[in-house]
Amino acid sequence: MSADVDHYLDNDEKTVVIVMTSGPSTPQRCATPFYLGAIMASMDVEVHVFFTMEGVRLMQRGVAESFAAMEDGKKIIDFIRDAKRAGVTLHVCQPALPGYKIDEDNDLIEEVDHVSRASVLADLVLRSDNVITF
Amino acid sequence: MECNGCEFHSELYYDSEYQIWLRREHDDSLTVGMTDISQTIAGKILHVRVRRPGTIREPGKPVATIESGKWAGPIPNFIHCVILEGNIEVLENPVLLNSDPYNAWIARVEASAGVDAALEAFLTGDEAHEGYCRRARDEDIHCQRKVR
Repeated sequence: MSADVDHYLDNDEKTVVIVMTSGPSTPQRCATPFYLGAIMASMDVEVHVFFTMEGVRLMQRGVAESFAAMEDGKKIIDFIRDAKRAGVTLHVCQPALPGYKIDEDNDLIEEVDHVSRASVLADLVLRSDNVITF
Repeated sequence: MECNGCEFHSELYYDSEYQIWLRREHDDSLTVGMTDISQTIAGKILHVRVRRPGTIREPGKPVATIESGKWAGPIPNFIHCVILEGNIEVLENPVLLNSDPYNAWIARVEASAGVDAALEAFLTGDEAHEGYCRRARDEDIHCQRKVR
């Protein structure tokens, strides 16, 4: 490996929002946001994942435990827990829940930090340094 | 010394979840590494990055980040410290953390409040051995130090 490769981290603290619209119908899209969120959070980035559209189903009890992004791969719930341990904050879009018949009081996994309105997403996007969508 | 095939060194200091080990050096710096349990859970480690030397790290602010094929996250930090150096050998060949986790250290740090105060919160000796084995047993972790 060349000597000029920089192995050291010295980024300033930043805020990143990951807007997660993918869900169980596209499993191959459901691990990377958490993996990326975990690595950014461990680099001192403030990371918020906002689940909306089909993404809210990943926060529904029993769903993320039931599938993986690739055959015989790690379950999505384990990627979610890795991201949480690294410090990622998880928001679920409240207006999207009725469309999937999800009860915010009874059906969400314990890893959810906030059930948030669209205005919260707007605030997060406007104050963040970067927004990524999946 | 081993538990479920997980190597354990009684002279080192460990956090309460046995994620990292610390070793006191002659110059009163601390060496930080991953335990055999941690490297096994992570799987084949593909990339390591350490905070730049001179950076002040507070408790909860990671010393380094690790990426494996199935896991990404921090090397946790529990003390107020300053990064002294990263292990260039490991930074260039991260899989050493899998094959030799107690020689392949990650970083050296200086504890801001002194090494004795820093190590007070860590486990060592028989107490650490008991807790380390308990975690391996309770979570059914069987360590492998070959490159997967």
